[in-house]
Amino acid sequence: MKLDTSGLESAAPVWGAPSELVDGFSAAPSFDLPNTTDFDGFQKEAIQMVKPAKGTTTLAFIFKEGVMVAADSRASMGGYISSQSVKKIIEINPYMLGTMAGGAADCQFWHRNLGIKCRLHELANKRRISVTGASKLLANILYSYRGMGLSVGTMIAGWDETGPGLYYVDSEGGRLKGMRFSVGSGSPYAYGVLDNGYRYDMSVEEAAELARRAIYHATFRDGASGGVASVYYVGPNGWKKLSGDDVGELHYKYYPVMPSTVEQEMVEVGGA
Amino acid sequence: MECVFGLVGNDFAIVAADSSAVHSILVHKSNEDKIMILDSHKLIAASGESGDRVQFTEYVQKNVALYQFRNGIPLTTAAAANFTRGELATALRKNPYFVNILLAGYDKETGPSLFYIDYIATLHKVDKGAFGYGSYFSLAMMDRHYKSGMTVEEAIDLVDKCIMEIRSRLVVAPPNFVIKIVDKDGAREYAWRESVKDAAVPSA
Amino acid sequence: MSRRYDSRTTIFSPEGRLYQVEYAMEAIGNAGSAIGILSKDGVVLVGEKKVTSKLLQTSTSTEKMYKIDDHVACAVAGIMSDANILINTARVQAQRYTYAYQEPMPVEQLVQSLCDTKQGYTQFGGLRPFGVSFLFAGWDKNYGFQLYMSDPSGNYSGWKAAAIGANNQAAQSMLKQDYKDDITREEAVQLALKVLSKTMDSTSLTSEKLELAEVFLTPSGNVKYQVCSPDSLSKLLVKFGVTQPATEAS
Repeated sequence: MKLDTSGLESAAPVWGAPSELVDGFSAAPSFDLPNTTDFDGFQKEAIQMVKPAKGTTTLAFIFKEGVMVAADSRASMGGYISSQSVKKIIEINPYMLGTMAGGAADCQFWHRNLGIKCRLHELANKRRISVTGASKLLANILYSYRGMGLSVGTMIAGWDETGPGLYYVDSEGGRLKGMRFSVGSGSPYAYGVLDNGYRYDMSVEEAAELARRAIYHATFRDGASGGVASVYYVGPNGWKKLSGDDVGELHYKYYPVMPSTVEQEMVEVGGA
Repeated sequence: MECVFGLVGNDFAIVAADSSAVHSILVHKSNEDKIMILDSHKLIAASGESGDRVQFTEYVQKNVALYQFRNGIPLTTAAAANFTRGELATALRKNPYFVNILLAGYDKETGPSLFYIDYIATLHKVDKGAFGYGSYFSLAMMDRHYKSGMTVEEAIDLVDKCIMEIRSRLVVAPPNFVIKIVDKDGAREYAWRESVKDAAVPSA
Repeated sequence: MSRRYDSRTTIFSPEGRLYQVEYAMEAIGNAGSAIGILSKDGVVLVGEKKVTSKLLQTSTSTEKMYKIDDHVACAVAGIMSDANILINTARVQAQRYTYAYQEPMPVEQLVQSLCDTKQGYTQFGGLRPFGVSFLFAGWDKNYGFQLYMSDPSGNYSGWKAAAIGANNQAAQSMLKQDYKDDITREEAVQLALKVLSKTMDSTSLTSEKLELAEVFLTPSGNVKYQVCSPDSLSKLLVKFGVTQPATEAS
């Protein structure tokens, strides 16, 4: 069965007929109250339930030609896989990408918020914001909310006047500049592949292959990662989506089924 | 795990810090500079939660710079240390910063000095000090081998001894260290001690 | 015409003046004068006491000189009730600084913080400016001995010798004539008393009409603020010949 990957498309989806939406407005919405004695505990639990994308593998690295960014697409809620087509690479603007690990809503919201701030910076200063500046903007916001329950582990990757840029930013307020990062539950596996295969002077094709392989291997070992391995490349002319492959199919590409020779055949033991 | 230590020598002070950025079992980066050059003659080495560490040291740095802009004279190292302590103390009962600080500086009148400031706002003027898991080893090494009025060579030798001891005895030893020095000519990077090479960050 | 512009401190006149501030300076021109002289080994402040009545009981030894911190003192000319407010804020500022940095506040910063307060009253509505000029004498490790003068507008500047209060222009020009760069503290006292004796209205100087205070370093290197007692002040007046030993005549 083919995975439905339409949710991973870059272009903004066209909204359908609005009739259904309009209908919804006629009646005042109402909610049932949860049947529980411990409302705080229920609320805490509920918040965790609407925070998918906890198990994730995302990675990004700088190389000769720019920055390569890749991620899986699985969203899980505990043991349940809630989606196989989550867009974990968020397009902040044509020159900058953010990756999503931790709370999906938190990541999406603050990346959109960052997108607004970056655009405003562009309008005010007549030049694009640096990756350094954008990542600091995000880190400062997250720092101001520290300890209030945000869950964000992200990489800001992009191309600015100084060339490629890559920062790791998290909801504890941490912000690291680096050449190579991986975030999420599958990151130890991804790091293994990445560190081993990384060279600065790779071609775009080699880098894309490395990124894809790293995601694939992470999804293989990490149960919370899976779905589609999306690979983006950011160069001097902005980002471009290079590929989005079902990791199930990648498995057959990376581990083709070998017809093995029969070593021993079961034979009827005669006359026992 | 984190190791920050420093000592005062003859007309200079030295601080060293590990350069690992760690999250649970993962080392995200092994060339993270944890010693900030506070102003022309001050160094601030900090350990603690990554967000707090960066935010707080930058806050102190900006306030020290503001003081100098406003008043045309720099803060003495002791004044900067007391200011830092005060900020940690006020934050302590509101939203504490989890940072431990070694502040080294050189003043014309008083020469080199080193201040120990922890996250609960303790301030001590010391001639050797350390924070983190590495402190158990580096403190013992410095207690044994430190003497007042050391030369730069002797001090660096002692710092290297501390680093070697941490690397060989600490289970969770960080691979790389950065060493910075401050003397009459100012605060500057002295050397890196790297046993694992991280990909160099392009000078952007 | 000008009536329209002088009733509020915050409004400029068409000529670009702030009348209320100028009036405040005028008020100080009538107050008892004070002179400050910077020497290489200390700062000298002398002030003229206006003796209003023989019956007045003076509780403190000085009425124009105030110690702000261990290393800074000031002399006042103008409305004393206004001055008390400012002196209090200055003392608080100095202590706050020590609390934050555990070292004495640099003199100029102290003057500046006080002048910021003064300035505020020339700009924010509904208030009148402080009718006070100050002479600040102090010592800090950065710039050694310093002398500053401030006026009601919040302007301040550093001086080698300065005068405020009644007849300050005459005093200022005399100081300009007689001041030498390598003056000692003792010579500074002599010069200050001489100038004051000539600019004061009264014919003969007596210790009741004067105050003398000095800021200097003790041999151990500590800053000291010392007020001259009436007895030794009388002796100084005789010694420097600015008054005749009038006591025997009376």
